[in-house]
Parts: sequence; structure tokens; C-alpha cells
Amino acid sequence: MNKPASHDAITPHDSASSLLSTTQVSVSPAVSTPRFPAGTRRPLRIKDDHLRRVLEGKDFLVFDGAMGTQLQAHGMPAGAIPELLCLSNPDLVTAIHRSYVEAGSEVVTCNSFGASAPKLGDACTVDELFLAAVRCAQASGARYVAADIGPTGSLLEPMGPLSFDDAYELFAEQVRAADAAGADLFIIETMADLAEAKAALLAAREYSDLPVFVTMTFDADGRTFLGTTPEAATVTLCALGADAVGINCSLGPSDVLPLIQRVCAWADCPVIAQANAGLPHTHDQDTVYDVSPADYVAAIEAMVDAGVTIVGGCCGTTPDYIAAEVSMLTKKNVHKRVVQDNFVVASSQEIVSLRDGDIGVIGERINPTGKRRMKEALQSGNYDYILSLAIEQTQAGAQILDVNAGLPEINEAEILQHIISDLQAVTSLPLQIDSAVPAVIEQAIRRYPGKPIINSTNGRDDVLRAVVPLAAHYGCALVGLTIDEEGIPTTAEGRLSIAKKIVQECDKWDIARHDIIIDCLAMAASTDQHAPRAILDGIRLVKQELPGVRCVLGVSNISFGLPFRPLVNATFLAAACAAGLDLCIINPAQQRMMDVVHSWRVLSGEDSNAQYYVENYASRTDAVKRQLPTGDSSHASTSTGELPGALPAEMSSTGDAATKAHAIVGTAAAEAQAKADDAATEAHAMVLAGRKEPMDALIRHIIEQHDTMFAINHVLIPALDEVGRRFEKGVFFLPQLMASAEAAKAGFDTIRLLQKDSTSQLSSKGSIALCTVKGDIHDIGKNIVRMLLENYGYTVFDLGRDCEPERLCDTVVQHHIELVGLSALMTATVPAMAETIELLRARAPWCKIVVGGAVLNPEYAQMVGADFYAKDANEAAHIAAEVLG
Amino acid sequence: MVEDFTIESVDQEEVLRYLGHHGQSIPQSLQQRLDKAFEDCKRLARPRASIRFFDIEKHDQEADGTPIVYLKDSSLELRGTSIDTHLQGACQVGVFATTIGMAVDQELRKLALTNQLGELLFDATANAMVERSADAAETRIVEYAAKKNLYTNYRFSPGYGDLPMETQPALLAALDAQRRLGITLASTMLMSPIKSVTAIIGIFDTPQPSSHASCANCFCAAFCNLRARTGRTCYE
Repeated sequence: MNKPASHDAITPHDSASSLLSTTQVSVSPAVSTPRFPAGTRRPLRIKDDHLRRVLEGKDFLVFDGAMGTQLQAHGMPAGAIPELLCLSNPDLVTAIHRSYVEAGSEVVTCNSFGASAPKLGDACTVDELFLAAVRCAQASGARYVAADIGPTGSLLEPMGPLSFDDAYELFAEQVRAADAAGADLFIIETMADLAEAKAALLAAREYSDLPVFVTMTFDADGRTFLGTTPEAATVTLCALGADAVGINCSLGPSDVLPLIQRVCAWADCPVIAQANAGLPHTHDQDTVYDVSPADYVAAIEAMVDAGVTIVGGCCGTTPDYIAAEVSMLTKKNVHKRVVQDNFVVASSQEIVSLRDGDIGVIGERINPTGKRRMKEALQSGNYDYILSLAIEQTQAGAQILDVNAGLPEINEAEILQHIISDLQAVTSLPLQIDSAVPAVIEQAIRRYPGKPIINSTNGRDDVLRAVVPLAAHYGCALVGLTIDEEGIPTTAEGRLSIAKKIVQECDKWDIARHDIIIDCLAMAASTDQHAPRAILDGIRLVKQELPGVRCVLGVSNISFGLPFRPLVNATFLAAACAAGLDLCIINPAQQRMMDVVHSWRVLSGEDSNAQYYVENYASRTDAVKRQLPTGDSSHASTSTGELPGALPAEMSSTGDAATKAHAIVGTAAAEAQAKADDAATEAHAMVLAGRKEPMDALIRHIIEQHDTMFAINHVLIPALDEVGRRFEKGVFFLPQLMASAEAAKAGFDTIRLLQKDSTSQLSSKGSIALCTVKGDIHDIGKNIVRMLLENYGYTVFDLGRDCEPERLCDTVVQHHIELVGLSALMTATVPAMAETIELLRARAPWCKIVVGGAVLNPEYAQMVGADFYAKDANEAAHIAAEVLG
Repeated sequence: MVEDFTIESVDQEEVLRYLGHHGQSIPQSLQQRLDKAFEDCKRLARPRASIRFFDIEKHDQEADGTPIVYLKDSSLELRGTSIDTHLQGACQVGVFATTIGMAVDQELRKLALTNQLGELLFDATANAMVERSADAAETRIVEYAAKKNLYTNYRFSPGYGDLPMETQPALLAALDAQRRLGITLASTMLMSPIKSVTAIIGIFDTPQPSSHASCANCFCAAFCNLRARTGRTCYE
């Protein structure tokens, strides 16, 4: 763990006042206007014909090897900032560049890897550094000078503190400086975070017309430190317009080889490889690398045979390695690669690729249209339900998730981004960004770490002009609806003609055919029985007349106005598959729809040897109840409304109370008239035992015999109070408190579910806003508090971690919230807590404030200006009762 | 050097201690969730360390009297009374950064959104796991010292005593921790992955009170290759 976050985070030397005076270095680079934003034509400035041929994949290009290794060999102390040597010892830097040029490097990489404003600090400006670095490189006589851009050194949101936009501005500053200093190209390298690589690539492409190469660094398990695969990196970076992509650092060349082969399969631009000279070892106090130049170049030769055309070296390599590469390349010709032409999209973790003839499933459920619970979730800011839909669809077999937050009364752009960020924590599926507003689409796809689908453009001139350039600029696949100013054509030919118009516009922006997805738009069969035929013919025509273009369909409109709609939907889906459909937008939790998909994959040959079908359908008959083919046990048992007899096996063996509960629940059918008092006693016992599984059945039973208020006021709340007492006395420890809270929550969930059908609504006892203060990302304590407060009937606005004071105040003012809970776990973020409280006092003087967290105590709480200090979640609940009743 | 470790177990007592346990009986359902947290942590964790050794150049004082320890061939400067005392009489230092990786952070974030008790249990388990990873890194430093007939004291991290957190940037840079381990640093000096530890261990000519004195109950034992490779222990 990070030391400051541990239990004794406050050291004896900290005093309260020094805590408050701790200053935070904030990164807020100046914002300027890009030269080539979306919708502009970006020219490419290529220094000479050789470089042009390199970019066309016709010539080899040789980079240099390690700079840091050489600087250390020349006596640079460990831990120093190597970039500053460009200013303090330019002759040394140039001498190293020159040694690579003499070994045969055509490109030297200027010594600017970590030259971002926060890293350079007061030592010099970014402009000064890049000017010096480019001068040092030019002085070596190299044919080309590559401006080197490494990671910022800070982790991006949501896992880290740096926003995408701030990272972009840091890179933009470097790009402007390097371009002005006279670099010939950019090499963005050693990236582990696809979001950060995207920010840097966008900055380079929006602020400069020079070629941009991007390499990421992978671990032996074939993923970056943040879990990106070579395929996801390649697909995303190529779509964004990188001029070369590849791999550098981390591994020796023989370990890079299989990974670079995976890059070669997907890269539609030249591939670059810069491996380490093996792994670093300590020889006495020196660091040595274990692969010789001869062994190194043997592995590089295999990479060249796989299609790599740009080579060089990374950590541990020297001019000897480069000379060996140059000599090897003289005997080689460029290997012509076969690049996949599949439909492919990517999340930050993985790709989804569909060959011609495959059928892909897009989950449709994250969309508020006609869905009350989705609307409520979007309005309240409680996204648990949305996340559960994502998990459910992922488990049910969706390959891509559609995400739509289009409600008139909310800030769609902001909420969509928030949801997209949260979704990435619970699913690794690529997303389809669904909005009618181009500006909302742009904000979302710009920051999305991957290659998403845009849903959608259509045949209207203004929509085409607004959306198609976005897809081109940000490297997205694009859904085009066959509707225009005249509406939806009734004929197949009419649909084709709009599809042609869309494709024509895409061609203007060089969008690949496999990235265009035409939606022929399903219309209700009940109003026009010719419509289904026109849609199916439309799919056939589009596939035939516009080769390479894909087709998608949201099928459920077809059954509008008919009874037993799922049957009509499924039949239509099967017909659409036969017509050549590539992607369907469906609810994958509806078994009938996934049955069509799975069986069609057998008939189309996609499910090779019917392996999946046989594995998952061997025991299926129409008689049995639905079973999901795959599932994640962590989710399976929470809310699926299991039959009483099907309680998990662990139930039967866990103590007295559990055994009793099992007896009751397990024979519920036989004892339907059993006294509800027993159920109430058991529910109480289950909450104390921290067992959520039986709660649903027990609460249903209690409500049948009594009513909702009895279940709340005579069962759940008294049980929670007892849990609180036991916790205070030390009879329970924290995990028991939480398990009990979980069990009570399961009971409340049942009550809410049943309430949907009745007119009465549970009234809230009041609203509380919670967050972890700006700069602090430890949120466990806050999450525990939230859980407990929700159980006690408070409406909790959870603003998450690392919360901007303004955002909190906006929420507090908007909902006139009377109690705010702030959490801080690091001494460094206590000042942020004080600032947050100051702003709250000014903007929401009615509001009471309670603070907590590892570094807080009553004295600090008073000093930062809070009304209350809560030492744990239980005490926070007491304070809430005091303030809100 | 960069080294990967295999961690087969963590001390459940330690995990429970992080959870605020004081002798309460553990219900079986909770025990099962603790076991699951460990299995998940073991599956997701990639324990790895970057380790370097430096000679101590000198102990000195800043203008305001703050002690400062300089290391040879390193821009790493160790400030404060605590580290000065920790390294009093040492000839070298072993410095390491270790982490169990970003997949643990990603799981924590997922659990924060979906399963708060799971998050709490996983977090405590991961804390114990990264401490084991630090044990393993310390073992390598003990082995290095023993081979030179030298002795170690114990690990000391920025943030302990008056060794400032601002030591982290140079310490991590000296270990090339971003490239080798994927460790990044926020302006608050908070490391990501969150389950990461940096530490400094003194290396001495003579045995120290805290030097390892027996293999029995030694936290290094699970990771120690000394006897297998050299036929002796670090205290013989």
C-alpha cells in the first residue's frame, strides 16, 4: 500500500497546521487552439522521398538505440533528470546521437522523453528543452530528428488523478515546442495507457502536420501495465491516424516477437519495433542487459520477416546493436503483410472483430427511451442500475454495448462521460456511443480509450456534415441510418440510395468501408406488411452494391403493435441474418434472441464445428427454464429471483440462524401459511448473520402477512440498530457490519421492487451528498458510509472520489442537500477538504458537514471547519439521524 | 534488477488486523468471502520489484541543520533525522520499489461500484499481498548483503518518521520504476498502482539488532535462495 494511506498515516512530525499548509502542485496547462481539429483537412509534411516511401511501407527505416543507458555509462547519476543534459551538457548528448548515426541510424530520437512541464519544474520551460534537444540531435548529422514524447508520469483518470484534457494539454505543449524547434517527426513511446497514448497522438495530429509514430510497451503476459492488448492498441491507434505503430521497451526481442506479430496482423500502417537488450540484471552495483547484439538482431530479423519495417532499440541497446541491424537489413526486402479487413472495434482491453458473414451482438439496454428505471437512474445520478445492465448484458453474450444518456432535462454530455467511465470498470466490451447531438458524441469519443462505434449519422445533409468528420478524425466505426430529409423510404432501393449518399460522404473523409455500418431501419409490420420485405431486401442490396460496408439493425421495432413481440423479433432476426446482417442491436438477456444468434452461427459456419452450440445447448429443451450459457458467480446470486428450493449450497451449513432460515425458505411451498412472525424473526437473524441470500423470500413473506412499513420499521431498521450496537461494543467488526448492511439492502431492494407495482412510494428521510475530496482516490470508507446511510432510508448523492468542490456545491445547491460527508485519507488532501468546506459555506450556508477518513480526528475536523467528525460509518449514521431525523 | 515473485499465501491474521478485527468469531460466510478475496488477489496480482544498491557517500547537514544522506552515483538525497539514524554506520543501501500491479487497482474500482464488502476484503488482502512482495524484495537485499558478508537492518519508507514523501520522485526515477514496474506518481506523491511500496534498507559491516538471526519465523524464508545457492544463511 502507499505508505501515507496506511493506518498510521500521520507521523509524529506532522502537526495540524503543517497539514493545512501543504501545498498541492496542480497541473493546469494553458489551453490554446488546435491547428487541425475535427472537420479540417490535415496535410502531412514529409521531409523527403525516402521517408514518404517508409510511410507507404516500401522502405525500411532505422532508428537509434537507448539514450538513458548511454548517459548512465557516461556518468549520469541515477535518479537525475536526463533531459536537462540537453541544456547542461549538449556536447555529451550530441556525441551519443552521433555514435548512433555512425552506426547507421537514419533517425535519432531527441533526448526529450520526460520533458513535460511538471517533470521539468523550474529547471527550464518545455520550449527551451525541446529547442535544445532538437539542436543536439540535429548537430549529430542525422537524416531525421524524431521528437520524443514519453508518458506524463501521472496516471490518467479514472484510475489516476490526471484528466484526459490536462494530459492532452501537456502533450500539446510538447508538440508545439518540438514542431517549432524543427523536428522531422514524432515518436510517442513507452505508453502503457491507451488513453494517454490517444491524448498524445491527438495532440500531435491536432497541433502539427508532421508524421507521428506511436509505440506502446507490453509485459510478458501480452498486455500493457493497464491491460491493453497489442490488438486493442493497434486497432485504436491506426484508426486515429498514427503513421506507424508498434512496440518498445519492457521486454527482450524474443519476447517482443510474438507480440509484434499480433500488431502486424492488424496494422494498416508501417510497424515499428524497439525492444530492450533483454532484461536488466544487477552485476555488482551496475545494471547490465543480457542479450548480445548478435542474438538481438536474430530476433529482429524474424520481426522483419513478420512485416516490421521500422527498427531501432530501447533500454540497454548501444550503437553495436544498431550496426548489427543495419547490416542485417541490407540483405532483406520489405515483407508484404496481409492486414485483416474485418469489422473491428476496441475497448482499452480488447478488440471485437467480425469476419465477413459473422453476426455480432450489440446490447441495447443502456438507453432511457421508454424505460422508467433507466430514466430515474440518469436523473438521480445513481448509476448502479446502469452498471448492472452492463454486467448482465456482458454475461448474456453482448459483444458491444450501446450507451445512450439522451434525456432532455439532464446534462447529456457530462453524464454520458461519467457513465462511460464507470462502465469501463465493470465490462471490457467496446462501446457504441449513442446520441443525437454531435457535440455530445465528440466529447465522448474524444476521451474514449479505444475505437468505439458512433450511433449515428443519417442521410440528412446537415447530420452527415456534422458527424462523418468526427468519425474520421477520431477513428470510429459509424452507423448510418437510411433516413433523410424525406423520412424513411418505403422501398429497398430508396434505402440503398441513402446508404450510397452516406458512403459517398465517408469516402470523402477516407473512412474505410468496413467502418461504415448501414442501418436499414426496421419499421412496424403491423402498420405496413410490406415493410419487413423492404428492410430485408435493403440489407441485401446494400451488401451487394456497396461491397465492404456492414449492416446493423435494431430489430424490435418490427413487432410494434403485435402481441407476443419476442417471437416476431426472433423470426425477423433470423431472416435478417440470412439477408446478410452483420450486427444486431438487441436485448441479449432475452433468451429467444440469443438462441437465434447462437443457432444462426451454426448455420453460417461462424461457430466452427458447432462447438459453442453443442457445449451450451446439448441439454436444452423447450421445457426447461432459462439458463445463461455463461455467468460470473459474483453476480449470479444477488437479484435473479431464485426459486426457494434453489438457494446456494453454502446456506445449509452456516450456523444456527442460517439453518433455521434454510428450513423456512427451503420448504416455503409447503409452509405458505407459516406465521409471518417467524419470517420476521428469521429476517432479523439473517441481517445479524450478514446473509443476504434468503432476504428476498423472507421479506416477500413478511409483506404478504403484514405490510411494507412493518418490514421496514419492525424488521430491518431494528436489525440494523442491533448491528450498530454490536459494532459499537466490538462484538462485530467492520466486515460483519457491512455484511449485515448488505443483507438489509437486499431486503430493501425487494421492498422497492414490490413497490413498483403499488401506488405508495417509500419516502426518503432526507438527502446526503458524499464524496472523497479533490486529489484523494481512496473511496472504501466513503462507500461503506453510503451503504449504511442508504439502508437507513436517506437519499445519497454519491459524487465519487477526487471530487471538484464546484461539482459538489452544484449538486448540494441544486437539490438543497442538508448534510454533506467528506472523506480524506491522505495528509496531502486535507487542505482540499478545507477548501471544499469553505466553498460549501459560501454557496450552501444551510448545509451541515461531517468529515471522516484515516488522517482525520476531531481536532482536524474542527480546524478544517466541519460541523462533525465521524470516526466510522456507524457514527456517520448517528450524525445523519441527528441532523436529518 | 527487476524480479517477479510468486506469493503463495498471506497471513490471515494480518488481513484481519487491517480489517479492524479484535478476536470476534468469523462467520463461515465471511471466511468464504475472505478466501475468495485471496484467490482473486492471487490471480490478479503481479508481484514485482526493481532493486538497486548504492554506496553511501556521506552523512551531512543542510543549512537548517536537517541531516541528509548522500548516495554515490545517484541524485537521490535522503533527508531527515529518521533516515540519518536508520543509516548510521551503514556502508551501502539497498533501495527497492515493489508493486502487485494495476489489475489490482482495476478490480478495486470494479468492486467499489458493485460490491463494497468485497472491495473492503480485497483491499485488505491486497495490502497483505504487497507487504509480502516487499518481504520478497527485502530478501533479495539480504541475500546480496550476505554474499558480501554484510548485514542488513530493516526497510524504511518515505513518509516514515521525517523522511519526506518528496523523496519518491528521485527514488522511483533511480529505480526506473515507471518503465519497469508501471509505477506513476501523482502530485500528492501517491503511487499508482495503489498497492506499491518503496523502501530503503541499510547494509552494514556488522550484524544489526534487527538483522535476521534465524530462519525459523523469518518472513524472508519463503523467498530466500541463500542456503540453496551458497549453502549458508545470512546470519552464519
